[in-house]
Amino acid sequence: MKLEETIRILYDGGVEFVVIGGAAMGLQGSAHLTKDIDFCYARTAKNVERLAKALEPFHPVLRGAPPGLPFRFDTKTIANGLNFTLSTDLGDLDFLGEVSGLGSFQQVLAASDVRNVGGVDCRVLSLEGLIKSKLAAGRPRDLYVLPELRGLNEVKKKTGVD
Amino acid sequence: MTRDQEKALLDLVTNPPPGSELAKAKEFGVDLTLFISTLRRSPTERARSLSEGARIFQIAKQTHLSEK
Repeated sequence: MKLEETIRILYDGGVEFVVIGGAAMGLQGSAHLTKDIDFCYARTAKNVERLAKALEPFHPVLRGAPPGLPFRFDTKTIANGLNFTLSTDLGDLDFLGEVSGLGSFQQVLAASDVRNVGGVDCRVLSLEGLIKSKLAAGRPRDLYVLPELRGLNEVKKKTGVD
Repeated sequence: MTRDQEKALLDLVTNPPPGSELAKAKEFGVDLTLFISTLRRSPTERARSLSEGARIFQIAKQTHLSEK
């Protein structure tokens, strides 16, 4: 998993994205570890094209799909789908068109903070946004992280630490 | 992080106010003292730490699988 590099590549490719999930938790100060990186991406034609182009050099394939299964992470595939779980040369990357509890890209963007990662100002889902999405997802692994997220949110509010 | 913020953070994680979210997290089993190191880091340092954690996890997983 190459978080800093992946953010740089998407940024340089002009992709509109918000870091969500475990990577967003880590960037917000959680001690939680994750092995993949989740993003919410804008579903506009231009952004879909940029996303396909940015990832092409990193050989994206559907994670867990049988070898040899014909798959191209191109504009048409992205436009026809919504959520993609990919294995790439950058590691496992998930691209979601919508986030449970929040909605589509614009709602996710509205619930995000700007964080500078490796010199790049990128959007990262806020702690409030993470709490809302984890509550809505409702799986045991989502609910398990809620006490930490709520505690972290309280620390930030009371101390002003970012 | 300023010195005052660091002091306030230390107070909160070592003595979470009763009924607070921090107290609930501690009771749940969250090690609140980890916040001290994670919040001292910049987002870039957090990103690097996440990547390093994932790399170590991957090595441990491969070692476990090869020993099976």
